[in-house]
Amino acid sequence: MVILHAGLCPGLTAEMIQLLKANGIQTVVDFISSDLEEVAQKCSLSYKALVAVRRVLLAQFSAFPINGADLYEELKSSMAILSTGSKSLDKLLDSGLYTGEVLELMGAPGSGKTQVCLSIAASVSHSLKQNVLFIDSTGGFTASRLLQLVQSRTEEEEEQVEALQRIQVAHVFDIYKMLAALQELRHCMSQQVVCSVGPVKLLVVDSVSAVVCPLLGGRQSEGLALMMQLARELKTLAREFGLATVPTGIQVELDIGGYEALEERPGASGEEL
Amino acid sequence: MAGSTAQRRRPPASRSGEDATTLPREIGISKEEALETLQVIRQECDSNAVRTGGDPTALRKCTALELLEQEQAQGFVITFCSALDDMLGGGVQLTKITEICGAPGVGKTQLCMQLAVDVQIPECFGGLAGEAVYIDTEGSFMVERVVDIATACVQHCQLIAEAQQEEDHHKALETFSLEGILSHMYYFRCHDYTELLAQIYLLPDFLSEHSKVRLVAVDGIAFPFRHDFEDLSLRTRLLNGLAQQLISIANDHKLAVILTNQMTTRIGQSQSTLVPALGESWGHAATIRLILHWDNNQRLATLYKSPSQKESTVPYCVTPHGFRDVQPPPPSQTPEGSEMNPRKRPRIEEDKQ
Repeated sequence: MVILHAGLCPGLTAEMIQLLKANGIQTVVDFISSDLEEVAQKCSLSYKALVAVRRVLLAQFSAFPINGADLYEELKSSMAILSTGSKSLDKLLDSGLYTGEVLELMGAPGSGKTQVCLSIAASVSHSLKQNVLFIDSTGGFTASRLLQLVQSRTEEEEEQVEALQRIQVAHVFDIYKMLAALQELRHCMSQQVVCSVGPVKLLVVDSVSAVVCPLLGGRQSEGLALMMQLARELKTLAREFGLATVPTGIQVELDIGGYEALEERPGASGEEL
Repeated sequence: MAGSTAQRRRPPASRSGEDATTLPREIGISKEEALETLQVIRQECDSNAVRTGGDPTALRKCTALELLEQEQAQGFVITFCSALDDMLGGGVQLTKITEICGAPGVGKTQLCMQLAVDVQIPECFGGLAGEAVYIDTEGSFMVERVVDIATACVQHCQLIAEAQQEEDHHKALETFSLEGILSHMYYFRCHDYTELLAQIYLLPDFLSEHSKVRLVAVDGIAFPFRHDFEDLSLRTRLLNGLAQQLISIANDHKLAVILTNQMTTRIGQSQSTLVPALGESWGHAATIRLILHWDNNQRLATLYKSPSQKESTVPYCVTPHGFRDVQPPPPSQTPEGSEMNPRKRPRIEEDKQ
């Protein structure tokens, strides 16, 4: 949600903004979706100037359409498939984890979700030599178990040490810290700052439901909003930076009740460009 | 509230360029609120920049290798039952939540009390030399029993010290006495779920004053939540929030958290099974789950859920000295043939059907 301010684009002066604000147009979305003739009349601004500003704002903030063939070519060159380390799991997932996608693991307690996460992390770190970020919110990450999994893949201690060094672990136990961790990762990667290790290729979140469950239910809707924000952060990370993300959840039926669907705000996507 | 909405809108770093005069005009908040918001954001930026400066609120990341070294350096809380310790990989692990479920009378409170004593064993005898916090919701904590367990533990250590005759053993034994053990066990009694939630909420402050605490035992996490609770979705939320707080405490202060849970019956299609209480979503809260149960007259412990150990079952028993291994039965002393009542004629054994 970008607010109109002077200097956002040439031709958008402070007086124009004052007049627009007086008529209830505060954000870029409001401006673009309003009828410019009406606005020109009400604010007594020149129609041509408004059209020019709108063109510049659209160019600046909207998403670019891309045709299917180009998209296919781009994906073929940029997408990678990370093997999970287990042949049967790879077969189930059509040969592995696709970067740019979010894979969700769900299961009853004790069914092995953390073990799958650990073995995927070990496999990507050791066999594919890529960096992994493991966000742990349940306390289930046991480094000695990870060492066992890495040791089963290689006998040499040097390789084991390297594999362990490529896996970064962050302990976050509530939703705000988790969102902060994901935003920090996004910040790191978008600035192409080498986050002390290298670009992360796999993000594992164990588990998403542990931080979201305390907020869902009851008559408050803030929990749903935070959950959707978390989902969006994961998808953005996956899509934009070509990460493979693996969050885990629990298999519980939730009665969400009669909530309205959340409105998508088109203006928000402009920030990502 | 202004601070939190600013955080959610966009990453903090990009907003710090604004100054306190443009912010109120744009968002329509008062100048004081704008200054407050900017201060919060600048603090975040500073803490992000000085991440390695040990700021507890900033995000701490470490590599798996560093975690491995930390794990290997930290000890375990032993239970005095070596079979159980082996099954758990050395004992009750620090920085994790261990849940102990069982039917009434199987020994959950005994195990909690044993662990509250064992965490205080000095380092030279292989313990952690830590203190214990015991939160009781059922009122089943008996000081007399703890006295028995503690006395037995001290005697055990004295025997070791006499056998090995090392100087630090004797020095440690001066402080490791019955009075010492009892004075380092902090006991809280909570009568309902509100008190329990408040106690857990206040626990970090208590722990920052008593930094030697290495064990927090909550005896009876199920009891306050099971009777008189109408709103089940509220219960799930409270329990999940409680679990997250406990794991956060366990991680920050490097201590072990023990919870005891009751059992309930789940009625399936044709049969009913005994499962831990508080529902399935609670099953995800504990990192390690131990189920204590009976098999005829033998008490067994099953490791049901663990991230690093295999599932298995071991027998244990509860003696006047506390939680112990099952002693193998003594070899029969009467030789075959001689009985209490010598028979006049040999009896022919009938086949059992």
